[in-house]
Amino acid sequence: MKQETVVLDHGSGGKISHSMVSEMILPAFDNPLLATLDDGAELNIDGRRLAFSTDSYVVDPIFFPGGNIGDLAVNGTVNDIAMCGAKPLYLSVGLIIEEGFPTEDLKTILATMGEAAKKAGVMVVTGDTKVVPKGKADKIFINTSGVGVIPPGVNVSGQMAKPGDKIIVSGTIADHGVTVLSSREGLKFGSDIQTDSAPLGAMVEKIIGSGGDVHVLRDPTRGGVGTTLNEIASQSGVGMRILEDALPVKGAVAGMCELLGFDPLYLANEGKLLAIVAPEDADKVLEVIQQDEFGADAVIIGEVVAEDPGKVFLETTIGGSRIIDMLTGEQLPRIC
Amino acid sequence: MSIKHVEEYRDGGLARELAAAIKSVTTREIRLMEVCGTHTMAIFRHGIRTVLPKEITLLSGPGCPVCVTSQRDIDCFIALTSLENVIVATFGDLMRVPGTVSSLQKEKAKGCDVRIVYSVFDAVEIAAENPDKEVVFCAVGFETTTPTVAASILMAQQRKVPNFSIHSAHKTTPAALGALMETPGVAIDGFILPGHVSVITGTDGYREVFERYQVPSAITGFEPVDILTAILMLVQQTAAGKPALENAYPRAVSQAGNTKAIQIMAQVFETCDATWRGIGVIPESGMTLKPEFRSFDALERFDLEVPQGGEPKGCACGEILMGLKTPEHCPLYKRSCTPAHPVGPCMVSSEGSCAAYYRYSS
Repeated sequence: MKQETVVLDHGSGGKISHSMVSEMILPAFDNPLLATLDDGAELNIDGRRLAFSTDSYVVDPIFFPGGNIGDLAVNGTVNDIAMCGAKPLYLSVGLIIEEGFPTEDLKTILATMGEAAKKAGVMVVTGDTKVVPKGKADKIFINTSGVGVIPPGVNVSGQMAKPGDKIIVSGTIADHGVTVLSSREGLKFGSDIQTDSAPLGAMVEKIIGSGGDVHVLRDPTRGGVGTTLNEIASQSGVGMRILEDALPVKGAVAGMCELLGFDPLYLANEGKLLAIVAPEDADKVLEVIQQDEFGADAVIIGEVVAEDPGKVFLETTIGGSRIIDMLTGEQLPRIC
Repeated sequence: MSIKHVEEYRDGGLARELAAAIKSVTTREIRLMEVCGTHTMAIFRHGIRTVLPKEITLLSGPGCPVCVTSQRDIDCFIALTSLENVIVATFGDLMRVPGTVSSLQKEKAKGCDVRIVYSVFDAVEIAAENPDKEVVFCAVGFETTTPTVAASILMAQQRKVPNFSIHSAHKTTPAALGALMETPGVAIDGFILPGHVSVITGTDGYREVFERYQVPSAITGFEPVDILTAILMLVQQTAAGKPALENAYPRAVSQAGNTKAIQIMAQVFETCDATWRGIGVIPESGMTLKPEFRSFDALERFDLEVPQGGEPKGCACGEILMGLKTPEHCPLYKRSCTPAHPVGPCMVSSEGSCAAYYRYSS
């Protein structure tokens, strides 16, 4: 890191975040479990395999169409555990609250978290609360950690994508990113777009249960589908070809992206997964995803190739092609 | 992935037909310049180069407002952040542009009050809500942005928001085209003229510069069919040896342009000589507040200590903005200059040609 101080880009989930992880965080904790850089760690305890993951939530605004920071915090960690192929079971919740925060809002957020946990089939079993003086935090920050059990025989990882594999996305992309951006102060556009925040444990269970040869599961949150595919391509040492025409984007979301100059490929999702599956099983897996409550719009968006390892290419609607790089910096709106 | 009214302009079949027509008309090497940064991005985003014959070279022009903003103006914006009681409001693209010693982003990280706004009117709001603070808006942009900034000045005047001011680095597009054509070594066979700017200027805005230099010109929008249509117009004009000023974007651009916007711009701003990054001073190419609005000029209001500094050594932004070089030919490109650690603004702005090449070239 050449910067003397931490800048917002370090938290974007893009290139600079990755360099901070590899240059500062990995060396500090140096161990093979962390080094896999998957959504959660796989722990082997007396032959039992557990998935363990943590995430902090600092979204602004804390309330937005379709949800709030509470269900985001539950679903986010539940999904990170599920992406290890595990069944999420237990969560911890850490609250950091700014002095002066309305108790009504806190009650609402906690109630939402309770409902989200119930829906996801997990129990919140431990927690912590801290209050900091006014101005020392912005309203409320939430950390959740969680564990789940990986069923015997299940083996998914970002390192396992193979040439020929099909890439499935479980529904429309960029819904959450556009929702938060458009409800952020200063963006006064009316719209019926809402967050896609949802627990994906049941969907993953169906995917595993289908018996299909699934190599990678990943939820494309911060950094979006574009950044996530790049991570997998470089972890697995493979290339990828994505079809622009196949990418599912809601009309209103696409419109908002046009208006603000955002690329939906780099906007966050909170209730979607990418499944990379052996070609012969792709249709079977796609079908079970589509049968899930949150997977009706699932489609195959492309495939893994041997050429151009570490790179992701998009075949455009007009028959051209371009590279999809990892996000650099926060996406910023155009000025002309 | 498109919105309804643009679907027909992203029609794959139509785009392929246009590409075939372009190929059949192209008989020699042709160098076309897309003046606007949004076109540069759209050309990459839709993979347009990959469907054109190899004889056609597309060059990025001086149409990214952040990229052409002089180092001194950037340093002024940064210097404003260090003043007591001042909130600096800016469009996001300027945040990471490196000045001589810092950037807005770095000053924000150090605790200075720098706020990203999506509209200049939000900056006026911030001023109205913080009467005990001064709010300065970093005004960059072409004819697309200048009218709204002019309107914000009138609004601040009318609503009596005296603590709002701007530092204007606004520039005009036609003046830059003229300067380009006067530059030795510049070889351009045709201009793809900007869509958004032309909505304001109309085709009339380019008439004078077209009459003087007789370079094939086509105004167009940002969808693949728009861009390919303009390229077809330009190769046809070149093949026939008959330069023309054509409009491939009639759904948005009229002959006279947006007269109301032009009028409000003329009410508040007047032209001045302006320094373009890497190019130098272009006479009458900038927009400064008229004397009766000078009280909204941040440079009149504050005593600024601006560091003396030139453009970074080796940075080829200027030659790139004039189509004399492409980013790969800059000694810093992909070496010391990357989107994560940009040296020049062409690598920072989402519409800068270096950022576009970096992001989209394999």
